[in-house]
Amino acid sequence: MTTTHVAAEPSTADFRDPEVRLRALFDGGSLRLLIPRDDSGVLYARGEIDGTPAIAYATDATRMGGAMGIEGCRHIVDAVDAAVRERVPVIGVWHSGGARLPEGVVALDGVGQVFAAMVRASGRVPQISVVLGPAAGGAAYGPALTDLVIMSDGGRIFVTGPEVVRSVTGEQVDMERLGGPEPHGRRSGVVHITTKDDAAALAEARKLTFLLGYQGRISPADVADGLDLAALMPAETNRAYDVKPVVKALLDEPGVELHAKWAPNVVTTLGRFAGRTVGVIANNPLRLGGCLDAASAEKAARFVRMCDSLGVPLVVLVDVPGYLPGVGQEWEGVVRRGAKLLHAFAEAVVPRVTLVTRKAYGGAYIAMNSRSLGATAVYAWPTAEVAVMGASAAVNILHRKKIAATRPEDREALRAQLVEDQIRVAGGVNRALEIGVIDDVIKPTETRRRIAEALAAAPAARGAHGNIPL
Amino acid sequence: MADEIRAEMVANVWKVVAAAGDSVSEGDTLVILESMKMEIPVVAESDGVVRQLAVNEGDVVQEGDLIAVVE
Repeated sequence: MTTTHVAAEPSTADFRDPEVRLRALFDGGSLRLLIPRDDSGVLYARGEIDGTPAIAYATDATRMGGAMGIEGCRHIVDAVDAAVRERVPVIGVWHSGGARLPEGVVALDGVGQVFAAMVRASGRVPQISVVLGPAAGGAAYGPALTDLVIMSDGGRIFVTGPEVVRSVTGEQVDMERLGGPEPHGRRSGVVHITTKDDAAALAEARKLTFLLGYQGRISPADVADGLDLAALMPAETNRAYDVKPVVKALLDEPGVELHAKWAPNVVTTLGRFAGRTVGVIANNPLRLGGCLDAASAEKAARFVRMCDSLGVPLVVLVDVPGYLPGVGQEWEGVVRRGAKLLHAFAEAVVPRVTLVTRKAYGGAYIAMNSRSLGATAVYAWPTAEVAVMGASAAVNILHRKKIAATRPEDREALRAQLVEDQIRVAGGVNRALEIGVIDDVIKPTETRRRIAEALAAAPAARGAHGNIPL
Repeated sequence: MADEIRAEMVANVWKVVAAAGDSVSEGDTLVILESMKMEIPVVAESDGVVRQLAVNEGDVVQEGDLIAVVE
């Protein structure tokens, strides 16, 4: 693609116009259309985002509702292939009813070629989708195959529309409730970020493109000690709290949280840390007590694999009581979906540092980037507890007979003594330190510097795999 | 618009903090649950008025049970 077509000012201010949308995405004056306007239903361009080069394509909602024909699909394939050749992020702006019906199977073949191009590019360049209108049928899977999906208030994603749903299943539903920001942001996990309008959606795409397209270099020397991250948590260890302010304080500036409303018991955030883009994964005790469950393990696993494939180091903040118990969880596949997180961490080659802030129990301890899964470094704060389970729960199991054999009035004293012994032999951090599953106990005030140093000391690496939407 | 706030997991109702008729802001604690040996606050997801508090201290709530309605 050697010719560059200088973009003319669009004749209308119609915000469904793909050129208007691409112009709004890129830095002012940086847009260069890579094809002339045509009737294909797709336009693509090169441009800059905060000075970082990127390629973007947009379906043309002003032509047949953005429906995709073979010609438009070839444009998308060309845009994605060009991004891979030039090693720059590629952004898709979606507003499309799906395949062009008059073209029949030819259009389906084109849509399939788009999917294949996206999978070829997966893990090689960041792929970001912005859904501003309906993305229906074949167009639904375009965004779904990319790394990150942003949806504005007007965005809708569904395989079959309300009328088909009604005629087949009898369910009465409108487009918004079927595939709008609420269902996809909270229930399905299809969408990473929802926004109040189109401008905000494009702004989020810009932030993510800059974070992934210009990752920066880590610079521990720029990180000063003194910020007490522990002050952002309650003193009582059994009190739940929101981990998001801790993530925010860890990063240089507020990052971009992904899947904020879906599986909120794990928080996944892209942001700058010591000058470099990192991915932060944190248990959130405010939701489900911070337990891992089927959905949150899957969410974290996909995030880990995305970061690994794009060369983004990971910081893991651990405060986890275990896996959520329950019939529902077992039947939802907490074993199969939890295994994804084990697989994702164990396979990741990017630098990845773990900090245990309060507790790490049982199987969830292993899953949260433990030493055994190959963590670059595992740190803990002095008051942290690492164990198979909490000390009092362990005592109830280990010493049930002994406690039952004691006079009722002496049981509490005995239990307290046993809990103390249990903490000494199995909990606390000392035992974990002795056997080397924790590398060092660090102060909350030196946390940022120590994590930055550990990330900087590890060899830069990048996983050689795609980012399947787990 | 009324927000129905439901239990995310099986838990004991440890403390009821808000009362029906209270004005609350997003993030305010309505009820504190106890589960997995943790005190877990249930917070308002939007600004509004508590229309209903469906639980009492000591109740056991199942996943999906109604806790409060904020309008």
